[in-house]
Amino acid sequence: MFALVVVAVLALAACGAPVPTSQLQGVTIENPVPKPSFTLTDMYGEPYDFAAETEGKVALLFFGYTYCPDICPTHMAQVSEVLEQYPDLARKVQLVFVSVDPDRDTPERLQQWVGGFHPSFVGLTGTPGELEAAQKAANVPVAYKEGEEENYTVAHAGWVIAYAPDGLSYSIYPNGTRQTQWVNDLKILAEME
Amino acid sequence: MGDLTWWCVALDRPWSWSWIPYPGIWAASILPMVLYTIAVRRHGEVDWKKARRFYAGMVVFWVASDWPLGTLGAGYMASAHMLQFLLYSLAAAPLLMLGTPEWMARAITDRLRITRVVEWLGGNYIMCAILYNALLVATHAPGTVEVLRRNQLGSALMDVAWVLAGVILWLPIISPLGRREGAPWGRMLYLFTATGIVAIAPASFLTFTTTPVYALYELAPRVTSLTAREDQQIAGIIMKLATIPFVWSTIAVMWFRWAKQEGAM
Repeated sequence: MFALVVVAVLALAACGAPVPTSQLQGVTIENPVPKPSFTLTDMYGEPYDFAAETEGKVALLFFGYTYCPDICPTHMAQVSEVLEQYPDLARKVQLVFVSVDPDRDTPERLQQWVGGFHPSFVGLTGTPGELEAAQKAANVPVAYKEGEEENYTVAHAGWVIAYAPDGLSYSIYPNGTRQTQWVNDLKILAEME
Repeated sequence: MGDLTWWCVALDRPWSWSWIPYPGIWAASILPMVLYTIAVRRHGEVDWKKARRFYAGMVVFWVASDWPLGTLGAGYMASAHMLQFLLYSLAAAPLLMLGTPEWMARAITDRLRITRVVEWLGGNYIMCAILYNALLVATHAPGTVEVLRRNQLGSALMDVAWVLAGVILWLPIISPLGRREGAPWGRMLYLFTATGIVAIAPASFLTFTTTPVYALYELAPRVTSLTAREDQQIAGIIMKLATIPFVWSTIAVMWFRWAKQEGAM
């Protein structure tokens, strides 16, 4: 009987049975959300179609800004350290950082800052209108400036949205997500084709 | 004054090389030196060699506790946390013990009613090794670090526990109440075993695990270009290898003194 169960489980796995999202350690989304469609400008000044460029990969979408003192650099460092540690995973994951501070985050600044974390990371910018539309498409609150002085901060969504290769988001990752959680979830998401 | 903290604690902000005052650490570093000086002057002739060792021990305590090392160890870098532990247990504690005259040590332990316990511990290698390693493991456990380093009292308790661990470790070697009788090779073997065996397990784990163990340091804003894992690997290496100069130089001194006594030199 046990052997029959094992064979049945293996057969199901071989047929591409969906990986249970209950194993995800991020904040799971009850009704998976489709990947948004928007085109912004990448850090080399070229147009970047988010949905098309990340097709077939695990897409990690994060809205932040390079002068962010805490959440943004920590998220970026966490994901980059995981991808450095797991090169096989790095080939299946694409992190896209969308700046919500177009005044200061020039393409050059994005190249320097985003590229400094991991060579595969992509930084995007755009006009205020394009960035607002992208945030709305991704169902995150629209970021806004806090303070008038030169060293202003930007209030923005502090979580990373993960889209599986099937084009759906099953989970998000708030500030404080640990590397063990990233490793666990990226491995699961990478298999959800 | 609302932001004034009296002891180093994990901070929820990026690291900055801006100095932070910690009055509690200054008081804990200066007060014992003042009391020590008053006590030895009142007692009569001052043994300045001992006094210098005591002051040196307090200076090491201050350096390990205060900004920047204390702040880095409290919330930013596992390697700084480990360096603090080594300074407290392998430098500050033995220097304070070497600098404490027997009459002063007895006065303190008598008042605390722990003289017999301290004398018994000083003659018991196994119990000292167990207690030292228990404190080492307990204070480096991720849960302990996460809880204690988040508040000032807990952070101060951890620092004091490390000094206490050092005192326990060195009791059979340099107890101010008089050391255990017996062959010096026994003390050498004790020191080697107590510091070198159990620590291998956590040190190896920190060095070779693929993801960071301490959430506190992993999620802290990075201070240097080191990744959280690299910082943890350095912590593991410090835990294992940095004890070598402290322990082996002590063993060498003990060996040469023993050889000299035996007339073998």
